[in-house]
Amino acid sequence: MKRGNVKNLEKEKCSGKIITLTVNGEERLVAVEDRDTLLDVLRNKLSLTGAKEGCGTGECGSCTVLLDGQPVLACLMLAVGVVGKKITTIEGISAGGKLSPLQTAFIDHGAVQCGFCSSGMILSSTALLSANAKPSRQDIRKALEGNICRCTGYNKIIEAIESVKDQK
Amino acid sequence: MMETIIGKRVPRIDGPAKVTGEAKYTVDIQMPGMLCAKILRSPLPHARILNIDTGKASRIPGVKAVITGKDAWDVRHGFVETPRYPADQYVLANDRVRYLGEEVAAVAAVDDDTAMEALDAIDVSYEEIPAVFDIFEAMKPGAPEIHPVEIPDLIGDFKNIGGQCANSYGDIEAAFARAHLIRKDRFEPELRTHCYLEPQATVAHYDAAGILHVWTSGMGTFRKRMHLSRILNIPASRVHVHKSWVGGAFGGKIDLFSHEFCTSLLSMKTGKPVRYAAEREEIFSYFRHSQNMIMDFETAVDREGILLGQRVRCYNDCGAYRGSGVVLIFTTWGYLVLPYRMPALDYIGYSVYTNNPVRAPQRGHAAPKIRFAGETQMDMIAADLGIDPLTIRLRNARRPGEALPNGDNIRKAGLIECIRQAAEKTDFVRKYERNRALQKAASPIKHGIGMGASGYFTGTLIYPNNSAAVVKFNDDGTVHLLTGALDIGQGAETILAQIVAQELSLGMEDIQVVAGDTDATPVDIGSWISGLTLVTGNAVKKAAEDARNVLLASASKVLQAPSGDLEMRSRRVFIKGTDRSISFEQAVARHIRDNDGDPIVGKGYSRGLKKAEFGPSLKNAKGTWSESYAFDAQIAEVEVDTRTGQIKITKAFTAHDCGFPINPLLVEGQIDGQASMAAGQAIAEEVVVKEGVTLNPSFLDYKLPTVHEMVEAQYVDVITEAYEKDREFVTKEVGEGYVSGILGAISNAVANATGKWSTKLPIKIAPDKEEEE
Repeated sequence: MKRGNVKNLEKEKCSGKIITLTVNGEERLVAVEDRDTLLDVLRNKLSLTGAKEGCGTGECGSCTVLLDGQPVLACLMLAVGVVGKKITTIEGISAGGKLSPLQTAFIDHGAVQCGFCSSGMILSSTALLSANAKPSRQDIRKALEGNICRCTGYNKIIEAIESVKDQK
Repeated sequence: MMETIIGKRVPRIDGPAKVTGEAKYTVDIQMPGMLCAKILRSPLPHARILNIDTGKASRIPGVKAVITGKDAWDVRHGFVETPRYPADQYVLANDRVRYLGEEVAAVAAVDDDTAMEALDAIDVSYEEIPAVFDIFEAMKPGAPEIHPVEIPDLIGDFKNIGGQCANSYGDIEAAFARAHLIRKDRFEPELRTHCYLEPQATVAHYDAAGILHVWTSGMGTFRKRMHLSRILNIPASRVHVHKSWVGGAFGGKIDLFSHEFCTSLLSMKTGKPVRYAAEREEIFSYFRHSQNMIMDFETAVDREGILLGQRVRCYNDCGAYRGSGVVLIFTTWGYLVLPYRMPALDYIGYSVYTNNPVRAPQRGHAAPKIRFAGETQMDMIAADLGIDPLTIRLRNARRPGEALPNGDNIRKAGLIECIRQAAEKTDFVRKYERNRALQKAASPIKHGIGMGASGYFTGTLIYPNNSAAVVKFNDDGTVHLLTGALDIGQGAETILAQIVAQELSLGMEDIQVVAGDTDATPVDIGSWISGLTLVTGNAVKKAAEDARNVLLASASKVLQAPSGDLEMRSRRVFIKGTDRSISFEQAVARHIRDNDGDPIVGKGYSRGLKKAEFGPSLKNAKGTWSESYAFDAQIAEVEVDTRTGQIKITKAFTAHDCGFPINPLLVEGQIDGQASMAAGQAIAEEVVVKEGVTLNPSFLDYKLPTVHEMVEAQYVDVITEAYEKDREFVTKEVGEGYVSGILGAISNAVANATGKWSTKLPIKIAPDKEEEE
């Protein structure tokens, strides 16, 4: 909620409802308000804090999660709008506690520095690689254009993704 | 031959936590009963506060505490707090606000909505007073007074001077009298900002025992503790700053901030955990951006392009409070004289109060600005004299063993070698001449190549000055490293663990790092003064050596061989040349048994500038600054479309002398990030502020580089120092210096492509069409 919108909050407060979200393969019952974003619910109600809020306005990509395999910005989605869809967060990527090849590649290639963009970067590139096992560099750039990283200059992120692509 | 782990591309040890979402940043911390804090900010750039009525806000159900300047004990704080520059900023505005967005009150409530409602219910009466936003207007004697300040040695009849650094040496008149060429240019880089991706946030919990626990997105826990203890008037030992994972900082999270004070005090008032998290728009509009500065360069050279002398005046708009401005005008001097010999200098830097938001250091603190100016003017001079940019730099660059004007020795400086290798590896001179020849050619796409050089200091004396470390052996023969270092993304924990692994012949998996906790770990210099690898690195090295000596003594007893005949590998101690050995585990157990239960705990410590009592003078730049300086030469290649004015940076090449690279993978990561940051600053980024209001407060409008603006980065490492076991090692900083040379290189590359110099940043090339009009 932005500063400019605080007037008449009472009117905006609405009664909650209980919905079922399918997160990382599990059905979770959560109480939400209509205006709650998917990001709020994941972070504050389900304690899945891997999705980050870097801007809250859909500009940085830190909150990227997968919705039926497609990357979306959780800060711009309403939780009530994603009932029935399969939500995958970074916590759902390493099955059985084992890192995915992409996660390992991010570490080995120095594609992680402060780590705040890493969840979003990895989810965007996971979606890319599952749709296109041999993406070109241009495909990779296109897939990551909504994910900002201030630390790495992107070079090693692209190297990491290309190393996984080459393994396939 | 013993395996080495130093100098290897070891993956960072915090990688798994970061790629799985497990890493808990300050904003991720959740505690039962945690309250939400919000801050009320001034809507005016300059006003007297007549009254603040918090009654209505306090009565809103769910509001637990409301604080104003009256709760803040009249305490002020500052980035610098010295007799010359006493702290000038209240943690919450007292009787006056001096910039739009200044913190006036804070609330803690059960949730965000209630806290916002409470902010709206606080009634503040202001009386507006005239404000001034332009630096030269602010300096005029008739300008509105922002602070009643007097600099006793002030040069000139100016108002609102928050700080002045003046330094002259050599015969400046003679230098200009015998000059073959004198160039006068004014350089004006833009106001830029850090764009750390993790918003500033603080969680505080004042517990029942009266201990204040703080998690905050910062750059060094010990400096935060010092400030918090002072402004909250509680002993440092009762402030426990915990390690937080930090999502980028770049200089923007060093200072103490009002939100850290407010969150702490709100927790002390309520006895509950309290969290404050800034919104991105707040950060863009009210938080600290980089310092900005206007620079006047008057430079005298001889026929060969050798620098004879320079008159430099710098004007820093530090905003409504000093922030780091008075440091900036000192470091400006430093980066002016570091890379090239300057026989005579007349330097004055002014830090000027205006009613703009306060500023902070940003990666390179002055170096990017001063090297943009210096490198651009050097190419202008070269062109005037018909010398190429490589030759003029080689003629002026400092050589190993030279002394700086303050007496510091640059020792094994690799600058000349960096310049040579950068030029050679990029075919610089040939491309430069070719591009110049093609400036007037018909093709609307022009290519350019440019060079820039820079140097950077490696740590100095500012609290906490020193680092210490503890290495303790576990019963299974592995170790824990206790260090106060805070990893802000650069990989501090990883390189420190590498040093321990090297000294104890352990694997990375045998070392666990406990870091950045003011209660659990020894003091640390912090991740904000470019001295961590040097100062903390040597402390950790000594701690590991200390532990190793005890371990070997114990093994020596068991193996009945002198320590000097022993060697370590695979967590065992061997008699050299034999297969007789005992495990670390056995040696540890034996030591404990033989010494009444004494475990093996090694301790080490280190201080930068060991013999110096103080750091350099901010008033006149005299005195020692650093004991180790890094150098670099950088080359940028650009493509300019003269029809649209669009500039594309195609390559960034860095030749660097960072001493000994403990971990080349991390070194490269630092350079990549700096090349990218410089690319953004060179051609796109700018915080647009009009009358104290930020007009582009979002990532969308600030235009930092996306993956489409990725710069292809290449490097060559000019190693001038070695890592030796049992000897102190000299490393040089790598996290800040390489954002500067490249900025000059980009500016020069655009000039090489178009024949036109830009003295402003971001560089804007007018499209051809407009020129014809």
